[in-house]
Amino acid sequence: MYKITFQIEGGNPVVIEANDGDNLLELARRANVAIDAPCSGNGSCGKCRVKILSGEVQSVPSRHISQAEYEEGWRLSCGCKVVGDLEVLVPDIASAYQSRMKTADLSSPEEVALFDAIQKDVCEAGIAFGTNFMALDLTMTEPTLDDTMPDIERLTWAVQEAAQVEEVKIPAQVMIKMASTLRENGFHICAKGQKEGSCFQVLDLCAPEDTRMYAAAIDIGTTTVSAVVADLESGKIVAKGSSGNGQIRFGADVINRIIEQGKPGGKKKLQDAVIKETLVPVLGNLCKSAEISAKSIFQICIAANTTMNHLLVGVDAEPVRMEPYIPSFFSWKGLLARDLKLPANPLAPVIIAPNIGSYVGGDITAGVFASLIWSKPEFSLFIDLGTNGELAFGNQDFLMSCACSAGPAFEGGDISCGMRATDGAIEAAVIDKQTMEPTFSVVGSQEQKPVGLCGSGIIDTISELFRCGIINAKGQFVRDGARVARDKYGMGRYILATAAESATEREISLNEVDIDNFIRAKGAIFSAIETLLNSVDLTTEEIETVYVAGGIGSGINMKNAVNIGMFPDIPLEKFHYIGNSSLTGAYAMALSNQAEEKVEEVAKNMTYMELSTHPGYMDSFVAACFLPHTNRSLFPNSIQEL
Amino acid sequence: MSFAPKTQAFNAKINAVTLGTGDKAVVLGGQNVLPFYTFDAAIENAPKIGVEITDTAKEWTAPGLTEFYAGCETMADFAKKAETMEGADFLVLHFESADPNGANRSVEDCVADAKAVAEAVTMPIAIMGCKNVEKDSELFAKISEALQGKNIVVLSAREENYKTVGASAALAYGQKVGAETADDINLAKQLNIMMKGVGVAADSIVMNIGTAAVGYGYEYVASTLDRVRAAALAQSDADLQMPIIAPVSADTWGVKESVATEEDAPEWGNQEERAIGMEISTAAANLTGGADAVIMRHPAAIATIKKFITELV
Repeated sequence: MYKITFQIEGGNPVVIEANDGDNLLELARRANVAIDAPCSGNGSCGKCRVKILSGEVQSVPSRHISQAEYEEGWRLSCGCKVVGDLEVLVPDIASAYQSRMKTADLSSPEEVALFDAIQKDVCEAGIAFGTNFMALDLTMTEPTLDDTMPDIERLTWAVQEAAQVEEVKIPAQVMIKMASTLRENGFHICAKGQKEGSCFQVLDLCAPEDTRMYAAAIDIGTTTVSAVVADLESGKIVAKGSSGNGQIRFGADVINRIIEQGKPGGKKKLQDAVIKETLVPVLGNLCKSAEISAKSIFQICIAANTTMNHLLVGVDAEPVRMEPYIPSFFSWKGLLARDLKLPANPLAPVIIAPNIGSYVGGDITAGVFASLIWSKPEFSLFIDLGTNGELAFGNQDFLMSCACSAGPAFEGGDISCGMRATDGAIEAAVIDKQTMEPTFSVVGSQEQKPVGLCGSGIIDTISELFRCGIINAKGQFVRDGARVARDKYGMGRYILATAAESATEREISLNEVDIDNFIRAKGAIFSAIETLLNSVDLTTEEIETVYVAGGIGSGINMKNAVNIGMFPDIPLEKFHYIGNSSLTGAYAMALSNQAEEKVEEVAKNMTYMELSTHPGYMDSFVAACFLPHTNRSLFPNSIQEL
Repeated sequence: MSFAPKTQAFNAKINAVTLGTGDKAVVLGGQNVLPFYTFDAAIENAPKIGVEITDTAKEWTAPGLTEFYAGCETMADFAKKAETMEGADFLVLHFESADPNGANRSVEDCVADAKAVAEAVTMPIAIMGCKNVEKDSELFAKISEALQGKNIVVLSAREENYKTVGASAALAYGQKVGAETADDINLAKQLNIMMKGVGVAADSIVMNIGTAAVGYGYEYVASTLDRVRAAALAQSDADLQMPIIAPVSADTWGVKESVATEEDAPEWGNQEERAIGMEISTAAANLTGGADAVIMRHPAAIATIKKFITELV
């Protein structure tokens, strides 16, 4: 047995025991030390760097570690075998910030406004808010020597009368606390439960003043998990927060996760990573900040892509990846909070937003619902920029959807200094054409120094580099200056913040590989839009409204997104950024039975188009991997000031 | 009333690009019709044939080639002889052995060869590199400098080195530049746009849109040629109106039909005839698809293709 100590930059050390020959990355995972490994330990991404402070490891050389770095002790943790006691430094890199939890400040009016707006819009579209959950104020006569009716009958009668039902179900967990709750409160209590037809299911018994019931809406993204807790009756948001998905250490994309879950014990590991390490702390934090008990959460709605909801439930996701790509379920009812051990009332139903296909999941159906494109006569385009890009197009008569493998670039993945849109992320940037100096804004407090770039910041930077003629249409650097540097292989990069200017003391830059990755991502989005529209014989001109969703920043500069050819060149006023629509959709589903039904209906009526088998897609993709596009005439408003 | 066929010339045309100087100069492109559609409009500049001479030409074994070039020692000897070949329009010096992963011949030696050839011949000259991006960049720059005023074409600039090749060959020394991409219309267009972006004039660019010997994925070449020509003419896409040079022989002489000896494949018949057949079929396919020039090696193949062109234009 050896002792391995992980010294975490900006955190407390973690110690774990190891056997001879154990893999260092595996050990870190076991010790819950977040080392970013998007490739899941294949040695291909080079992100799992650690520095050996003392001790020896047996390691394989890597092209990601230079000779000088090797001598300083830097290794890729995935290629290290333990051969003795070890002290390892885990660096504080931009991607490590990804997993940090964030509970949003609800005093920010924009945060709350999004949810108020969806409630209003959904109601206008004819979907009423309201659920069948009820908090009944019950006063029963206290038992005496003459009135010997048992508690359960007293409660049943009171519920029957208050809820106007015939049948009352009292589960064991309620039965256990019934006697004490009734007596502590002098037989004046609040009974919380769910009314279905002529049946009332009691879920909890509380003191009479404790009448509040809450719902949790959760968006489980491949990279990010966001959640809100809202009052079940009024819909008022009481807490909102987000965190990195704990599964990140098992790979950045769904394919790597599916491979991991297929290994022995893998399903449990991935389920634990998302539930124990992510949802439990996130919900716990939200309840704490709202000063409510987790037991008062009676309804949970989860919107997640197909792989994520399979991994959440612990169902084999392998068929999602394998031809003919048939998942275990599209929609599934009957799941309870206790099945997943979520911090909520154990009998709280867990609604899973329905999937449409292997690669268009509940996050999209919830998002499409929230965008309301299904209620309007005009043609609208819905774009969700997540770890993958998903699109829906149509109107009240028809809906088409497709997924395009845009990759994780919009969430900062596959980008050397990329990160999620949390504190320290550069979310907007402008570059001076003459001096090439950047001006940018950073998420967080006034004093927050930059840590990395989030999706919206990357879009701005690339658009500005292109406009200023610093990069060419392929994303290669063609101008030189103080802000443009090159490595020994000649690869150019643009320095947004020097080591001294950044929060991590590491330079923040965007290099040619990053830009190339991003151009592919934006190319995938645009070509998917083009292919989807072509398939119904329409052009971009026919799009009346574009709803852009995704947590890529507090907003996207649409002009810049058009400038680089990511979105079609149509009037900018047609674009609307609707934030995390998967979460707002889940919120509506959690608070409205009608919304839940409507999402099911929308999902059933949406036609899924498989782009990978579409003959024109690849061609369209290559044409779109250019700034703004190989066919310049598609983007008359894109500018490169030469 | 007699039948008057309706002609369908396009409003757009392929750029006319001149190679070489003086009497022997050739013009590639210039037509406003599909390949060999002389019934739609006259094709002023018939497709041209470049004769390939490699710096390893002395190792050639095909009897037709050794016989034709008998007694040739230097590249200049070969070039002078090639000028006399029936059907030759221009000469292509292929510096195969400059490859750092091969013989790694020095740039100076290659430049000396090119200079010697240029002094010995009057036909236009094209330079083919060794496909190593860095070496080719240097080679093209130095040869362009040495042969300034000869109006040569260097084959080719690729995405990785178009800036240096474009800047040296075209901008600094006024030569023509080939733009080479894998079989894909969009990649071809993108490279042309980028070349223009660094200041290379459209009429200094010729294209190599990707090649293959017939039977080796040539379908991709065929469809790319079709689409490039359709875009240039029917859609007036100025970024695709550059003439196309197809380096046929470099592909066809390396495939097994040309390489396998008669001992290895007795059922296939005479080895040289096979090689000639591959060269002719590939060249003819390229020309009918839209190439404005083909690069070939064997005198018999060249004579056949010359006849093919003459009869169709």
